[in-house]
Amino acid sequence: MLPPAAPTQREMPPENPATRRSIARATATHLALTGFGILFVVPMLWLLLASIDSNASWGLEWPHFSLINFHNVLTGSLLHSLWNSVVLAVVSTAIASVTGVFAAYSLSRRRIPFKGPLLLFVLFSSGVPLAIMVIPVYEIFSRFNYLTILPTAIFLSVTSLPFEIYLMKNFIDAVPRDLEEAARIESASTFQVLRRVVVPLAMPGIAAASIFGFVNAWGSFVVPLILISPADQQPAPIAIYTFLTVPKPEYGNIAAYSLVFCVPVFILYAISSRLFREGFVLGGGVKG
Amino acid sequence: MTVSTLSTEAVIGPDLARLWKTRHDKERFQLSSLTLLTPAFGLLIILFLIPMGYAVYLGFTNLTLVGPTSVQWGYTGLQNLSRLRQDTTFWSSLWVTAGFVGGSIAGVVVIGYLLASLLMRARTWMRVVVGGVVVVSWMMPAVTAGMTWYASTIEGGALGTLTGLHNTNFLDNWPLVVVTVANVWSMTGFSMLVMGAALRNIPSDAIEAAIVENASSWQRFRRIVLPLMRPTVIAVVLLTALLSLANFGLIYIMTQGGPGNSTNILPLYSYQQAFTYNNLAYGALIGNVMVLIATVFGVLYVRVAAKS
Repeated sequence: MLPPAAPTQREMPPENPATRRSIARATATHLALTGFGILFVVPMLWLLLASIDSNASWGLEWPHFSLINFHNVLTGSLLHSLWNSVVLAVVSTAIASVTGVFAAYSLSRRRIPFKGPLLLFVLFSSGVPLAIMVIPVYEIFSRFNYLTILPTAIFLSVTSLPFEIYLMKNFIDAVPRDLEEAARIESASTFQVLRRVVVPLAMPGIAAASIFGFVNAWGSFVVPLILISPADQQPAPIAIYTFLTVPKPEYGNIAAYSLVFCVPVFILYAISSRLFREGFVLGGGVKG
Repeated sequence: MTVSTLSTEAVIGPDLARLWKTRHDKERFQLSSLTLLTPAFGLLIILFLIPMGYAVYLGFTNLTLVGPTSVQWGYTGLQNLSRLRQDTTFWSSLWVTAGFVGGSIAGVVVIGYLLASLLMRARTWMRVVVGGVVVVSWMMPAVTAGMTWYASTIEGGALGTLTGLHNTNFLDNWPLVVVTVANVWSMTGFSMLVMGAALRNIPSDAIEAAIVENASSWQRFRRIVLPLMRPTVIAVVLLTALLSLANFGLIYIMTQGGPGNSTNILPLYSYQQAFTYNNLAYGALIGNVMVLIATVFGVLYVRVAAKS
C-alpha cells in the first residue's frame, strides 16, 4: 500500500485568457476522466446492487431493495470468520510492527556491521512477494502440527515486515537526534528512549506501516487457504470463496459479505491518507 | 546509502581494538543493537530464508502431499528437472505469465500516467470522484475484486448487459484478457498516486520555459516530462511485475487457472501441482523458477529504489 498523494495541489500555471482552445482542452480532459471513471465503476456495480437485492443473481438488475443480505451475513459462522480475520490481522500487525520498529530504529541510528547489505536485503524482500514461500512453509508447519491461525499470523507478519521496516526507518531518520541525546543525558535506557521519544515522534510512520501490515494480512487469501486447516479458524476470504462451492449460491449474501469485508480496509486507508499530508515516499508500493 | 565496514574487532584484532576504543569521534557497535535487530531478522531468517533454502532442496525430492512418499521421501536428483523440461503445461504457463505480467505493466503504467496527468488539470470535484473510484478499486481485497469481476464478465453479467451482448461470456471467450484487465483495474490506483506525486515534483518553470520557446506539447512531454519521470516509471514497471505475480488470488477466484490452462500463471500452476495434484516437490520446483524470475525483478528494483 502506498500512502496517497498530498491533497494540496500545486496550482498549474494560469491558462491563457479563455481562448477557444483551452476550453476545448478542459472539456476533453473532463470527458476523458468521465470515461475512465465509468470504466472503473462498471465492475463495482454488481457488488453494490446485488448486496441490497433480496433476489440477486450474477446478472446486473434493478434491485428489490432490502437489507436482508447484510442481516444474513452478520450472524453465525460468517461473523465468526470475520472475527478470525480480525485475529489474524491484529496478531500479524502487532508482531510485524513491534519487531519492525526495533529493527528500524537500530538500522536508522546505530553503527551496525554490514548495514548496507542488510538494508538492501530489506528493500529487496519488500519488493519480492514473500507469500510465494508458501509451499516450503506448509511443509515445515505441517511437520510441527502448526497448520493453525496463530502460526499463519506469524508468517503473514513476515510477509509485510520488510516493507514496514523500510517505511519506519525513513520516518525515524527524520526524528531529530538532539531529543534522543537529551534523554540519554538523563540516563534513559534504550527502551525508554524508544518508548518515550522515538515512537511518539515517528508515530505517523509507525501507524502507516501498521496499516499496511493490517491490510496485507486482512486481504490475504491463498496463504490462509493453505496454512489454516481447522474449518473454524478460517478467515473471511475463505468463507467468501466457499460461498461459491455450494450448489445454489446466495448471490446477494456473497455481495453483502464481500462489501462488509472491504469496510475496514477503506476506513484504514482514509486514516493513513491523513497521516501522509506532506507527500509520500517511493520505495515499495506493496499491497497484499 | 553508506557502505558498511566490518566490525573493527574482527579486522584488527582485540588488542588494537582496545586502543581504537579510546576514539570518541566514531560511533561504536553496541550490543543492544543486536537485541533490537534479532526479533525482526530472526523472523525473516526462520520464515523467509530457511523456507527459501528448503524449497530449493524440496525441488529435487519426491515429496508428495499424500501417499507413501509423503512420509518416506528423499533426494531424487534431476528427475523433477527433466520432468519440468518436458512439461508442456509449464512452458505454456510461462507464456501465460509473460502475457499477464506484460499486459498488466502496459495497462498499469499507461492508464496510471494518463489518469495522473488528467487529474492534475481537472476540477476538484472531478479529482475527488474519479480519483476516489480508482483508489477504491485499488484498495479492494483480491477476493472481493475477483468476485465482482467474475460476476461482471460472465454470461449475463454487467458488461454484457451494458454493451447489449447479453449472451457473451467474456470470461470464457477471452479469459487471459479479462483477468489481465481485472488486474490492471485493481493496481492502477497505486500507479496513479505515484505518478501524480512525481508529476507534481516536475518544476513548473521548466515547462513554462518550454512554452515560451514555443515547444509543442509532444516536445514538452518527450524532452522534459519523460526524462524526469523515468525513475518513477521504471519503479512502477518493476513493482507492477512483482505485485502481479503476487496477485494470483484474483485469478484463483475468477478462473482457477482455466478454462484449460489459459490463465494458469506460474504461481497458480505451482500451487496446483502442490495441492491439487499432491506433488509438493514438483510444485516447489515450479515455485523456485518463479522465485528466480521475481529475484531478477527484485534486484533491478533495489538498484532503482536505492538510488532515490
